[in-house]
Amino acid sequence: MSCHDLRRNYGKLVAVNGVSFDIRPAETYGLLGPNGAGKTTVISIIAGVLQADAGQVTVAGRPITPRAIGAKAAIGYVPQELALYPDLTGRENLRFFAKLYGLRSSETKRRVDEVLGIIGLSERAGQLVSTYSGGMKRRLNIAAGLLHRPNLLILDEPTVGVDPQSRNAILGNIETLAREGMAVLYTTHYMEEAQRLCDRVGVLDEGKLIAEGTVRELTAMVGEQDRVRLTVAAEPQELARRLNASDLGHSAAVDGNEITLLVKDAPTALPAILDLAGQTVRSVIVEEPDLEAVFLHLTGKSLRD
Amino acid sequence: MKELTIAATSLRRTLRERSSIFFLVLFPMLMILVLGVAFGGSFSPRVGVVTPHTPLAERLADSLHAAPGIAVVAVAEGSTAIASVEHGDLEAAVILPADLNTPLRYVVRPGIQGQQISSIVTAVLDREEARLRAAAFVAAENGLSLPEAQSRVDAIAPQFPPAPVDVTYAGPEPARHGRFDAMASSELLLFMFLVAMTNSVALIESRRLGVMRRMLATPTSTGTIIRGEGLARLSVSLLQAVIIMVGSALLFQVRWGDPVAAALLVAAFAVVASGFGLLLGTIARTSEVAIGAGLLLSLGMAALGGAMMPLDLFSSTMRKVAHLTPHAWAADGFSELARHNAGIADIATELAVLWTAGFAVFGVAAWLLRRRLARQAA
Ligand SMILES: Nc1ncnc2c1ncn2[C@@H]1O[C@H](COP(=O)(O)OP(=O)(O)OP(=O)(O)O)[C@@H](O)[C@H]1O
Ligand SMILES: [Mg+2]
Repeated sequence: MSCHDLRRNYGKLVAVNGVSFDIRPAETYGLLGPNGAGKTTVISIIAGVLQADAGQVTVAGRPITPRAIGAKAAIGYVPQELALYPDLTGRENLRFFAKLYGLRSSETKRRVDEVLGIIGLSERAGQLVSTYSGGMKRRLNIAAGLLHRPNLLILDEPTVGVDPQSRNAILGNIETLAREGMAVLYTTHYMEEAQRLCDRVGVLDEGKLIAEGTVRELTAMVGEQDRVRLTVAAEPQELARRLNASDLGHSAAVDGNEITLLVKDAPTALPAILDLAGQTVRSVIVEEPDLEAVFLHLTGKSLRD
Repeated sequence: MKELTIAATSLRRTLRERSSIFFLVLFPMLMILVLGVAFGGSFSPRVGVVTPHTPLAERLADSLHAAPGIAVVAVAEGSTAIASVEHGDLEAAVILPADLNTPLRYVVRPGIQGQQISSIVTAVLDREEARLRAAAFVAAENGLSLPEAQSRVDAIAPQFPPAPVDVTYAGPEPARHGRFDAMASSELLLFMFLVAMTNSVALIESRRLGVMRRMLATPTSTGTIIRGEGLARLSVSLLQAVIIMVGSALLFQVRWGDPVAAALLVAAFAVVASGFGLLLGTIARTSEVAIGAGLLLSLGMAALGGAMMPLDLFSSTMRKVAHLTPHAWAADGFSELARHNAGIADIATELAVLWTAGFAVFGVAAWLLRRRLARQAA
């Protein structure tokens, strides 16, 4: 997916103001921004349900506009609202969308069953959606976008109003799909989700993409570094001194038998640190600097208003 | 055929609602039964009587009223009465004379029943004639004035009741040509339209739930979605038609006439009705508005178009106004088909008008919906 200089106004309100980014095959890209940042507007343009005032989108090499019917087959769109018929069963809803995505009858049945399995709704598939819990409806909402094995799966805040257990299941599903090679465009205003799922993140504020990169790159921008916390069995002072003396990290501080130090790139440096510490380490906690801090740094605002 | 998927899904949602069975099946049948019994179920044939304002005419009218075996309906004008007989809303019409020098006009549909009514009417006239003769005789013999003589005659009349006649019917009962026919075609039009209008709620729900938007995200063109939604309204309306036509034919022996012509007429009316349904589903913002407006429009157009009261009872101006509605054209078509053994050629005008109107309304609705979907995407 590639989009270039997307713009969109609602009357006088500038909702999207020159947004450009790319998503590579099998990449999970997160669009992070507070309420009203323009995430849904950007995503709707990319999904071909909203006409942009300016700019281009291509998915799998084909331009996307509301009129580009054929090209939409490459996209699976999961809208922010629960776009399902409550008076139909889960299976009937999926069958309906499968047909609209152009699946053949035999294929439809197979894919509907497969997708129900993926999201874990096989047992409830024959019941009316109106009887589902909020989390189940969310999962079905996602399922409807997966039926035709899209190249690009677009998810607009798929975990809003979902209990932690369902949310975890949903995030797990998305991780699996991404691992199997599906490109994912994911919007959220939960930075934990972006951190967990996304290979790269674009930070959107007031219709503009104000920063983009991997979570590491973004947090590095802020200049923060990973905090590594080591719990050791013996001689924390001695170990802290040796760590500070090495070029692995700095600012090591001791609190009881816990050592906290700042490390530029913890995943890379950790083996060497453990090597240095030897047998005394009981536990290691790496705390990455978070996107919350990045957003705060870039806009002076909190992600959650 | 994604159109079929869209239409079938919509139909499935409609039929899943329990109330649908009531509204699609029980309610129309009940209406036909109730109205048929109320207005036409009695075995007395309806005879229209036009009464000039003279003592003679009024006395004759009273006698006809009192006569057994017929139901007298007062009609203001002779031409209206004759037209009603022609259309089968009245079995016969009697245009009473103002005085004894004017002939009485008697209009009747050909057939056994016409002869029966004829004999009832003749009997009434014979009695009246006998009374007048007797009075004239009494007046001449006793030197009384005619009114005085008449009251003497009337006073002794109860002593001479009509000779008793015992009638026994033998053989099979003849096919009941009936009021049910007229009721059934009225109800058919009313309900076909009503169901297409109220079913527009399904379209509004699709929009409100965001399903419509999601459909636009699939490789499905706006045109396909519109055709699918139109087909959905059409199929509900046609389903309603089949239920009423088959149900009334089985339950009340209603005759719909030439099947091909009737099917074409029903299909044309269904296209008009579903066009209006699509229009309502496009314009109305909420389901509540759609249901309210749908009911109001359906009942209003049905009443205006003669689907509640026979067009023959309308004044000629109102009959012209009525033909602004598709109901009036379809009603004309059905009365041709049911009562005169007409075929397609005989209802060509009605068919042409309805099909043209159907395509026009459908076209406008599709254009508006397309605009609305584009604006949603715009
Ligand atoms: N149909 C519309 N008409 C007018 N304004 C709109 C419309 N849709 C969105 N907006 C406005 O455009 C801006 C961006 O909205 P958008 O829905 O894209 O934000 P978002 O980032 O998805 O927010 P959220 O996290 O709340 O979903 C908001 O100020 C919103 O009020
Ligand atoms: Mg949004």
